[in-house]
Amino acid sequence: MALFKLHVPILDDIKTKGWRSALVTTVDQTVERITAGINVGEIRSILRGEAPKRPNPRVKPHADGFWMHMRPTFFHEQVMSLYPTFRLGWLTTYMLVFETITGLFLMLWYTPSPDIAYTNMLSLLSNVPFGLFMRDLHRLGAELMVMLVLLHMLRTFVTGSYKKPRQFTWFTGGVLLLLTMFLSFSGYLLPWDQLALWAVTIGASMAEATPVVGREVNLLVRGGADIGANGLLRFYLLHVFALPLIAFIFVGVHYYKVIIHGHSLPPGAEKVGEDTARKVPMERRLYFLPDVMTRELFWTVGWLALMVFMVTWGGWHAPLEPHADSQITPLHTTAPWYFLWLQGLLKLGDKVFFGVILPGILSGLLFVMPYLEVGPSRRYADRRIGLSIAALTIVIMSVLTFMGTPYYGVSSSPDQEVLTTLAPQTHPGLLRGTAYDELPVGEWVASGWNNAPSQGLQAVLELYNREIERYSDQLLNAKGKMSITEIQAGLKQVTMQVEWEDNGAHASEPVTVYLHRDSDYEH
Amino acid sequence: MVTRVALGTVFMVATLMIVSFTAIDEPARMAQFESGYHGRSVEAGAALYANNCATCHGPDGKGIAGRAPALNAADLYNGTRFREMGWGGTTHDYVYGAIAGGRPRASAAYAEYPQRMPTWSRDFGGPLRPDQVNNIVDFVMNWEETALLEVVAEKPSDFVAVGLDLKDPVLPAGDVARGEKLTQTYGCVACHMNPDMNAAPGPGWPAKYYSSGVSIAERAATRFTAADYTGKATSAEEYLRESIVQTNVYVVAPYAANIMPVIYGEQMAAQDLADVIAYLQTIK
Ligand code: HEM
Repeated sequence: MALFKLHVPILDDIKTKGWRSALVTTVDQTVERITAGINVGEIRSILRGEAPKRPNPRVKPHADGFWMHMRPTFFHEQVMSLYPTFRLGWLTTYMLVFETITGLFLMLWYTPSPDIAYTNMLSLLSNVPFGLFMRDLHRLGAELMVMLVLLHMLRTFVTGSYKKPRQFTWFTGGVLLLLTMFLSFSGYLLPWDQLALWAVTIGASMAEATPVVGREVNLLVRGGADIGANGLLRFYLLHVFALPLIAFIFVGVHYYKVIIHGHSLPPGAEKVGEDTARKVPMERRLYFLPDVMTRELFWTVGWLALMVFMVTWGGWHAPLEPHADSQITPLHTTAPWYFLWLQGLLKLGDKVFFGVILPGILSGLLFVMPYLEVGPSRRYADRRIGLSIAALTIVIMSVLTFMGTPYYGVSSSPDQEVLTTLAPQTHPGLLRGTAYDELPVGEWVASGWNNAPSQGLQAVLELYNREIERYSDQLLNAKGKMSITEIQAGLKQVTMQVEWEDNGAHASEPVTVYLHRDSDYEH
Repeated sequence: MVTRVALGTVFMVATLMIVSFTAIDEPARMAQFESGYHGRSVEAGAALYANNCATCHGPDGKGIAGRAPALNAADLYNGTRFREMGWGGTTHDYVYGAIAGGRPRASAAYAEYPQRMPTWSRDFGGPLRPDQVNNIVDFVMNWEETALLEVVAEKPSDFVAVGLDLKDPVLPAGDVARGEKLTQTYGCVACHMNPDMNAAPGPGWPAKYYSSGVSIAERAATRFTAADYTGKATSAEEYLRESIVQTNVYVVAPYAANIMPVIYGEQMAAQDLADVIAYLQTIK
């Protein structure tokens, strides 16, 4: 019989110590296992806000647990207030994980093929509960991540945290900046709508100008002269596999370097030329458990709440344009906002110099900057030149970004500009956003907006009129015509044409927009 | 730390609440997206139709003589046309098939069109993507409602329904051609011109579509004299009039009562009814 005897320790415990005590011990042991070293008593002590005993039992998980061993047991209390990190590095890391999770959800409903990708998007939005929600979160997260990375870079520059010994941390950060931008950019193509196709076509054609390898690299990434089935598959694999994998590895390297050198103290907190980040005096230590962890969780939850709010009641939604069509180039397509500066540069002149060589040199400089700028002091007062250059760079980048938009240096004719403002080809615009019943059938002119029979039509005609007046130096005696007819039950046809005089009468190509009662561009 | 934990908990609860509210609204939101997208599809279809189809089928879908038949017409939606082609599916699929694959030949009823309908879908070597073909189908199908209601829409303001009586009012002289058109717009043909006799819910009109091989004109001429006849008609015209306005008074086996709706007395003017009867009496 002894052979089959089961050994259940809790039974022995119950026998020797009684029910209550046995149960307490078991719960305690289980909790300790899960937390890799913190028992119930300690958790209660943490919750009561008590100082740890000496030696500190709360550092045990850092030695025993896998996740916790990546985090230091304590930080200098001066790097744990909002300044100097602004939590930007942490939030960026959070976004990378967040994008992975929301992205996995989207992958369930997505096939990387031009035949079906767009239909997949439609069924994601019309048939999958929380489909819109997840898509919006993923898209918003991507945009925010690029912003966070840029701000994080700015802050590490401003506080001089790239200086010795943290040059390589900055370098790996540069790699992460590129990875983040390309992660976002590669995701842009996947919905396979007009926005996706043309933003990526523009982005890819900028790279085309690279001397020697430009054409080859482009062919390799796009999988052909145009972006088609091969290109979509390649972008997809980059987006869901290659780039995230590399990004995770580099975040590991980056964070390892951050820990190895310690978070740099605020520039004024130490003597010039000294780096005391690793020598934290006893009384200034802030232990990870519980102080740092609760701070990080607080920021995570707050940031999540913000994003969830934005995509629900805030009304922020990821765009979805009509199906991608390589035959129809929408007027005024732009690259994603974080590449607009490049598009702006390209408007200055030579494609190879402004599109490739100059940006190449600039990004190269960005990477090796810490090895060139070796001034010993991190104090603001000693870095007037460096900080001024940073400020100037921001201004120049903003100007270039503006120049990248259609508002600068576009060459299309003013009459087409007017009509495109009313019925844009890259987003719905005012006319499509106007309610069906607010567009009465009839013949209307822009200048008569004041007498329009409905508020909606009045707003449309007023914009029409304002746009015509904007170009009044080129469109002399211009008349903006708009004819609205109902061509089917619940379907109106709006045809617009600008007529003007300039050594004789001229008329624009008419632009026709169809509007269905249900089309609901507002949502 | 207490404030932090408390505030964090508030954030978390707020997030969960927003998510729950979103969850409640999801079915409505998905339905709204579906109808919104359908609307946009019709819009895209309208543009494609104007560019590719209007030259032959007419900008208003009314067809162009000698080029291509009307699409904005009742017979496309009430099933006449596709039945004539031997199609067993829905109108939607018939329209999709015709646009996507084109037509190798014109149907017998439209033999006067020398040009065949081209293939449009890329799937069959045409120029358009399948989603674009779908857009056009959505646009064409958007005519269905008005095309079927056309008769009603054309009713003059002094319209007087003919009513249920077999003798009052006295019917004017009928116009056979107009009567034939009316049987399409009223949808009669969907049941009575069905080549598949066993599937048709009502008796076929032409001799070839009826089990005993007798046409409606001949049946009407004799049936009111039959022994088992339960109605009040005393002539072929009255028999047909009764069958149209008081459909359940006398139903020929094996057909069931209440299949044909009792609405035509209210929908037709005396002239309409006269025209339809005149047409029925010419069917062989
Ligand atoms: C995916 C992108 C990135 C992630 C996930 C990330 C993550 C982090 C984290 C968690 C920290 C420590 C906390 C903090 O300083 O806020 C950090 C520090 C740092 N990061 Fe990044 N980072 C990224 C991109 C960058 C970029 C683009 C740069 C600059 C080119 C950069 C340069 C630095 C430097 C120099 C530090 C050290 C700061 C110090 O010791 O005070 N990082 N990073």
